[in-house]
Amino acid sequence: MADTATTHAVVLRDIGKRFPGVVANHDVDITIRTGTVHALIGENGAGKSTLMKILYGVQRPDEGAIILGGQEVQLHSPTDAIAHGIGMVFQHFMLADNLTVLENVVLGAEKLHGIGDAARKTVAELSDRYGFGLDPDQLVEELGVGDRQRIEILKVLYRGAKTIILDEPTAVLVPQEVDALFENLRVLKEEDHTILFISHKLDEVLAIADDITVMRRGTTVGQARPGSVTKHELAEMMVGSELPTPAKEGSTVTDEVQLELANVSVVDPRGRSLLTDISITIHRGEVLGIAGVEGNGQAELVETIMGIRKATYGQVRLGDVDITSWETRGRREAGIGYIPEDRHRHGLLLDSPLWENRILGHQTRRPVAKGMWIDRSGAREDTDRIIEQYDVRTPSTDTLCRALSGGNQQKLVVGREMSGAPALLIASHPTRGVDVGAQAAIWEHIKRARKDGLAVLLVSADLDELIGLSDRIEVLHRGRLVAEFDPRDVTPQDLGAAMTGAHEDAS
Amino acid sequence: MSIVRRFGMGLLAPLTAVAAAMLITSIVISLSGSSAIEFWEIIFSRPADRVFVNIVNQTSLIYLAGLAAAIGFRMNLFNIGVEGQYTLASYAAASLAGAALFPGLLNVFMSLLLAVAVGAAWAGIAGVLKVTRGVSEVISTIMLNAIAITLVGYLLNRYGVKVGNGVRTEVIPDGSRVDGWFPFAEPDGPVWALGLLAVLGGIGFWVLLNKTRFGFDLRATGASQSAAVASGVNVNKMVVYSMLMSGGIAGLIWMPSLFGAAYSYGTTFQAFLGFTGIAVALLGRNQPVGILVGAVLFAFLNEQSNRLTLETDISANVVQITQGVIVLAVVVAYEVVRRYRTKLEQRSVTETLEADKTAKGKAVSA
Repeated sequence: MADTATTHAVVLRDIGKRFPGVVANHDVDITIRTGTVHALIGENGAGKSTLMKILYGVQRPDEGAIILGGQEVQLHSPTDAIAHGIGMVFQHFMLADNLTVLENVVLGAEKLHGIGDAARKTVAELSDRYGFGLDPDQLVEELGVGDRQRIEILKVLYRGAKTIILDEPTAVLVPQEVDALFENLRVLKEEDHTILFISHKLDEVLAIADDITVMRRGTTVGQARPGSVTKHELAEMMVGSELPTPAKEGSTVTDEVQLELANVSVVDPRGRSLLTDISITIHRGEVLGIAGVEGNGQAELVETIMGIRKATYGQVRLGDVDITSWETRGRREAGIGYIPEDRHRHGLLLDSPLWENRILGHQTRRPVAKGMWIDRSGAREDTDRIIEQYDVRTPSTDTLCRALSGGNQQKLVVGREMSGAPALLIASHPTRGVDVGAQAAIWEHIKRARKDGLAVLLVSADLDELIGLSDRIEVLHRGRLVAEFDPRDVTPQDLGAAMTGAHEDAS
Repeated sequence: MSIVRRFGMGLLAPLTAVAAAMLITSIVISLSGSSAIEFWEIIFSRPADRVFVNIVNQTSLIYLAGLAAAIGFRMNLFNIGVEGQYTLASYAAASLAGAALFPGLLNVFMSLLLAVAVGAAWAGIAGVLKVTRGVSEVISTIMLNAIAITLVGYLLNRYGVKVGNGVRTEVIPDGSRVDGWFPFAEPDGPVWALGLLAVLGGIGFWVLLNKTRFGFDLRATGASQSAAVASGVNVNKMVVYSMLMSGGIAGLIWMPSLFGAAYSYGTTFQAFLGFTGIAVALLGRNQPVGILVGAVLFAFLNEQSNRLTLETDISANVVQITQGVIVLAVVVAYEVVRRYRTKLEQRSVTETLEADKTAKGKAVSA
C-alpha cells in the first residue's frame, strides 16, 4: 500500500471553475492516496458534481492543476480521463436492457478485446477476480439494481480504469445491496484500485472510507479520517457553523388547522418506500419549513399534498375535509396554491404569453374562466394586476414567458399562486435561481400572506429562507420526519445532524 | 412585436418552404429530361370550371383530415391512424345509409353520427391502450390502420354487392343524397353540400382550442405535460378525449363525397386522405387557417397535375415530390423562424426594460 504518500493517485490543487455569474468551484484541494476509498461529502449544490466533471474531463478548470500519479495532466474529454485510468460510474445507469452483460461492457470499447471470445474471457476474468458474480451472457433486463451497478463498474474496469469515481452509488440501493457494494469496493481496494466515493450519507462514508473530504459552497472545507471524527462533526462541517437569525416579527400562528397529514406513507411501484409515516399539521397563519438534503422525500411530500402522487397509506386533510383521494384540480380549486420546485418544467408554459400562464392552474376559476369558457380579457386584466403588484418586468401581457428573466418568471408564478386568496400555499424552493431583489420581494409577499392567515408549507435548501420565514422547521431524512426545531434556537449542529441522519445515534 | 410583423413572420416559413419545393421539383423534372417550365405552366394555369369544383371538394375532404390529425398533434399525440379510422367509419356509414333504415335526411344524419362514433371508437382503442398499458399511440394506430383496412376488405367481400369486377355497399336511396350546389354548368359537377362539415369543423376546432377550458388544457398538455399535470390537468383523460375527438372528425372525412357523388362504399372510395391530412396538419402548424391553406394547396396541386398525364410526358406523381418537399421544408423553416422570434422577443423585453430605466432616471434628475 502506498500509505507513505510518495505517489498519490489523484491530487487536485487550487481548482477553480466559474460559470457566468456563478463560482462553482474555488480553491479546491484534494489528495487521494492510491489504493484507498476516498469519500467526498457535501450538500447538493456544494460543488461536488462540477468537481467530478472536471476530474472526468467533461469540463476544464479555469485555474488549478490536476496531478495524476505524480504527473500534471490536461484532461480535454472523458476519453482523455479514461486514457489516464480514470473511470466514472454515474448515478443513473447507462445500460441497454435488451443486450447481454458482455455486450453492454464491450459497447464502445470494441477495439480493446474485440467482441468475441477474447472479450468474453476478459469480462469473465474481471468478474471473478473482483467477486462480481456476473454471467457475461445474461440479459441486462433480467438483472437487479445491484448487478446493474456492478456492470457499470465492470465497464470502467474493462476500459482499464485504476481510479473509479462513484457518484452517489448507494442512492439507488437497498441496505443489503449497499453491503454487497462495499464488499466489492474492498476487493477493488486490495487490488490497488483507488475509489472516489461521492455521498452525503454519513453512515456509509464512515463505514467505507479511508479518507474524507468535505465540500461546502464550492470549496473544500475540511479533511478527516473516519477513526478520528464523529458524525456530528462531519455534519457541522457540511452545513457550516453560522446560521442566520430569524425574523423578529411576532407570530401569527392561529389554532385553526389548515392542513393535516396523518400517517402518510408513499411506496413506489417497485416497493421502495419514498415517504414513511409522515404526520404534520399546519395552522392558518403558520409557515412550516421542511429542511433536508435534497432527494430525501421533499418532492414526494409536495406531490402527495398536491395530488400529483397518491398517498399509499394515511390521510390528507384540508381544513376539515378529507382530500386524500382528490385529484390535483380539485385540490387547487379548494384553495391550494403551488409554487413548484422547477418553474420551467412544472410552473410555466414557456412558449405561451404571460396571460395564458396566468390561466395555468386556475383553468376552472374566475377571473380567467367562466363556465366552460376561457375569459381572455379577464385573464389579461388579472395578469396586469400581477405585473403591477409583484413588479414583473415585462413589456406586455402578450410577451412570451421564455423572454423573461428567471426572477420575473418566478414573480409571475408567485403572483399567480397567490391569486384567488388561497388557504394553503405549497412553496418549493420559491426563490431558487432568482436575483436578490426578487428574492426579498417574494419573501415579503409570503410574510404578508401569512399575516392574513395563509398556511404555508415551505420546502427549501436555503437556510436563510427556512429560518427567516418559518415558524417551525421539520427535517426530512430518507422519507421520514426525523426532528422538529424552533427556528429561534436551532443550532447548526442540530440541524446538520438531523439532515444527514447523524442524530439517529445521538438520540 | 407589432401584429403586422408577427403575421409577416408567420408567412415567412411557408413561403420559403414553397419556394424550396418549387426549386427542387424543377430540378427533378429537368434531370429527368422534361421541361420544368411546361410543368409550372400547367400547374399555374387557370383551372377549368370542372377542375375548380374538384379543388373545392377535395379541399373539404383534406381539410377534415388535417383537422383530425391536428387535434392530436396539439397535445403531442401522434394519431397516425386517421387513415384506418376514416376507412372503417366510411364503410360503416355507407352500409347504414345504403340499408335505408331511416327516411330521407334522417338517414344522412344517422349515418354521419355512426361515422363519428366508429372513427372515435377506433381511435379510442389506441387512446385506452396508451393510458392503461403505455402503448405508444404511433405504433398502435399504425397497426389499427392495417386491421381496419383488412377488416373493411373482408366485410365488403362478404356482405357487399357484386357489380361487374367490383364490390360495393348498397347504394344510398335518392331521398338521402345530398349533392350540393352547381356554381357552373351542370356537367361541371356540384360543390358537395356536406363540404360544410369542413367549415363547421374548422370553426369548431378554433373555438374549442382558443375559447374553451378544454382547449386550454389540451394546448397546455401539448406545450408541457409536466406543467399541465401540476396545474391539475388529468393527462390520461385528455389523451382519451383527444383521441376520441380526433377519430370522430376522421370519421367525417369522406362523408361529403359519399353523399354527394359516390353513394356507396366501393371502388369509388378515396384512400390515403388520412396521410395527406397528417402532412397538411404539419404544413398548417395545426392552426385552423394554416390547415386550410395547406388543404387548398394540396387539393390544387393534385387536381392541376391531372392534366400533366394528358398533355406532357411528365408524370402526375411529380407533384407528390413538390408536396413532400413543402412539408419537409416547412418543418425546418418553422423551427428557424421560431428561434428567430424568440430572440426578437427577448431583445424587445430588454429594450423595454432599458427604456424604463432611462425614463425613470430622467424623472429623478428632473
